[in-house]
Amino acid sequence: MPETDIPISMVPGRGQALRRHADSYLRALGGRQITLRLADPSSGDTSSQLGITPPTSEDVQIAPAVVHVINPNDDGTRRLQVVLSAKALQPIADSYGVTDIATWLMQSQGVFYRGRLMPIREVTSNSFADVECLYFLTATE
Amino acid sequence: MQATKDSFYVELRDRLTAVDPQRTITIDGATRPAIVVAENEPPTAGPPLCDALYLHWGAARPALPAAGTMMEMECVISYRTKGTEANAGLDRGRGLASLDTDVLAICLPPQTEKCDYSSGTAADLGSTIFWSLPVFSSLVNAPPYLGREVSVTVFFYPEVNQP
Repeated sequence: MPETDIPISMVPGRGQALRRHADSYLRALGGRQITLRLADPSSGDTSSQLGITPPTSEDVQIAPAVVHVINPNDDGTRRLQVVLSAKALQPIADSYGVTDIATWLMQSQGVFYRGRLMPIREVTSNSFADVECLYFLTATE
Repeated sequence: MQATKDSFYVELRDRLTAVDPQRTITIDGATRPAIVVAENEPPTAGPPLCDALYLHWGAARPALPAAGTMMEMECVISYRTKGTEANAGLDRGRGLASLDTDVLAICLPPQTEKCDYSSGTAADLGSTIFWSLPVFSSLVNAPPYLGREVSVTVFFYPEVNQP
């Protein structure tokens, strides 16, 4: 059977190919770097539950990323859409033992934009052949 | 006032651990009893979790203006559930009843020692706080959630050298 007759669903690694393509697409668009602030696991002690001991956090740099300023909320607060490459995000998530990247992003404290920490309100992803290619984050002031 | 809030929360938390040790939540990677003071959570916290009790502190005022310095402060305990996936959410009502039972259980007896937790450990302040019996609101049916609010009035003597 000629290779062109093989259904796309049977081509091994096809998802990885699109993931690399998405990564290069973001780099072509400028490929800036964004900072994601992650909360460290809480100690769960009484002081943290009473709001006495602040949660510690760490900042993680992620590139390539594309930032779109989108329509503000009704109250005028700014909104951003950040597009992240799954190829770039995967090794970082792996280093934290994360399996569900979307949930992990939602549980972060937010992304930095022009010196302000903006909490992430929504995370969606674009996948092909069961492989995530792009993550879309919506963050607000 | 802060000591009153902290003492009330810690007492209810410890009672919840005793009466329903399985009722836990995981926040920021830490598993803890499923009772939370809303004002102690970060502003970036997500929406309230299901099957957890959230304490919201309200107004405070003199309890008996002509009779002394005792004050009263409102506390609303809110919670909601959407049942379990295994039961397709049909057990929402039973889940809410279970939460109701836990709230009743942890609110009795309606008093505890007042402690100062500002140093990170409990320092007994030598007085007690006490509270009214819980008043349960009507069900709030907002599919897929079923929830309720419970009002409790907490009485305490303010201590001027306390935060």
